[in-house]
Order: sequence, then structure tokens, then C-alpha cells
Amino acid sequence: MNDPLDELLDARLRDETPYIDDAGFTAHVMKQLPRRRVSWSGQRSFIILAATILSVLVAYFASGEGMFVHDAFTRMSGLRPLQLLLVIFACGTAMTIAGLWAALTRRHDTIV
Amino acid sequence: MELTDGDLLARVLVDGDQHAFGELVRRHQSPVRGLLRQLVRADVELADDLAQETFIRAYKHIRSFRGEAKFSTWLYRIAYNVFREHARKRKELVGIDEEQLQAEADPQTVDPGLRHDLMNALANLPLHERTAVTLCCQNGLSHDEAAHVLDIPLGTVKTNVLRGREKLKKMLAAWAT
Repeated sequence: MNDPLDELLDARLRDETPYIDDAGFTAHVMKQLPRRRVSWSGQRSFIILAATILSVLVAYFASGEGMFVHDAFTRMSGLRPLQLLLVIFACGTAMTIAGLWAALTRRHDTIV
Repeated sequence: MELTDGDLLARVLVDGDQHAFGELVRRHQSPVRGLLRQLVRADVELADDLAQETFIRAYKHIRSFRGEAKFSTWLYRIAYNVFREHARKRKELVGIDEEQLQAEADPQTVDPGLRHDLMNALANLPLHERTAVTLCCQNGLSHDEAAHVLDIPLGTVKTNVLRGREKLKKMLAAWAT
């Protein structure tokens, strides 16, 4: 059975926890926050995407409107099934390693 | 429908939405300021300065919050660290003058006029007991969560809560009779 004094203490502690009115506190904090910057990760994604599109366009026109793609497919179709399998396996392994590396380097909660 | 803390955090993290962070501050300002007022013995201005520092620090380091604890627990931990840094600067950290703290905790030395007020009684507990009682009995944290906030063993939290409560009960019993 609970001690009545314990119950009284719990009730008093809960009851005597006043809600502190904001009274401009949040606004004051917001004024002191560092200015919002465009995140570098967003900029980086945009730069990489733009550079990729530009590179593809340059390569496309510089190679006689995509003849290199045609050539690559021709070479690929000339590969033996085992060679083709090895190429696919190598690509899959590289992607798996990159994914694992990204997952393992994820940081945990830090104390500030 | 009201957004959860998680929804608001996602907006802050993905879109850098400062209004979402403002809503988080509005939601959690009262318990954080209340905790700091208990820690600094009701010096309201100082407690609010420390609370502001707590939220600014939380915003700057928001990417280090991975949701392994509740957002409120993470905030309490930052608040406690901000308080400790302040106390170190002022050399007021617990343990420096344990004798004085024990004297403050003795009900015989407390102004009899204050016994009626449980909050004043709480303010007269030693810092480690006051903090544990405030977190667990007032702010509703579990012993595990309080141990995480204070970065001390679970057993120590339980002992501090128990000792703090016993002292408060003595004061309450004296007041009740």
C-alpha cells in the first residue's frame, strides 16, 4: 500500500509545477538564432546535377551525336556471357561497398 | 491536426524551417525554464538567460539529434550542461562546499515560514537531489531518462530521488501536523 504522505507529496509536486507563460521568450530566442543559410548539401546536389548534365551534353555533341553510346553497346553485345556477368557483379559490389560505407559513417546523438 | 515534435524536427532539418523550430521552443519553454529555475534557486532572469542559451545551442546542433531519446530529454540534457558550465564559471558546482549544502538541506536551519511552501523546500535541497526530484517527480521523466540527462548511473538517480523525497516528506509532515 502506498504511503499517504508519498501520495500527498506527488500530488503537491505535480500541482505546484506552474506553467510558465511564454511572455515573449520564444520571440527573443528566435531573434538570436543564427541567420538561415542555404545548406551546402543542397547547393552541392545542384552543382553535381548541373555538372553531370553539362558533361553529358558536351560528350554527346563532341562524339558525333552519341556515337560513343552506340560503340559502347556494340562492344557490350560482343562480350561473352561470363564477361558480362563479371561486369554486372563488379558494379553491384561497388554499389554495395558505397552503401555500407555511408551507413557505417552515420553519426549518433552527440551531447552538446 | 497538430504536428508532432518529430514532424517539426523534420521541417527544421530538411527545409531549415525556423518557424517550426519556434513552435518547438514554444512547446518546451515552460518545462525547460522551470527546470533551470529550480537549478539556479529561482533566479528568474538567470534561468531565462540559460534557457535561451539552451535553445540556441539546440538549434545550432540540431543535426546531432538522431531521435535516440525524446526531444524533451535531449533539451533537458543540454539545459543541464549549460547550467553546469555556468556553475563552473561561478564556482558554484555541487561538491565544492558540501558542508554548506548539507546545512541548507537540514530542515532545522530552514526559515520556519518557508516550510509551508513545498517549492521553497525543494529549493533548499542539495543540488543533486533537487535536480533528480525536479526531473522525475515534477517533469515526469523516468529514472532511466533522468540518468541520461544527468549523465550519472541509474542507481545514483534512484538514491538522489529517494533521499530528496524523504527530506521533502519530513518537511511536509511537519507542515501537516
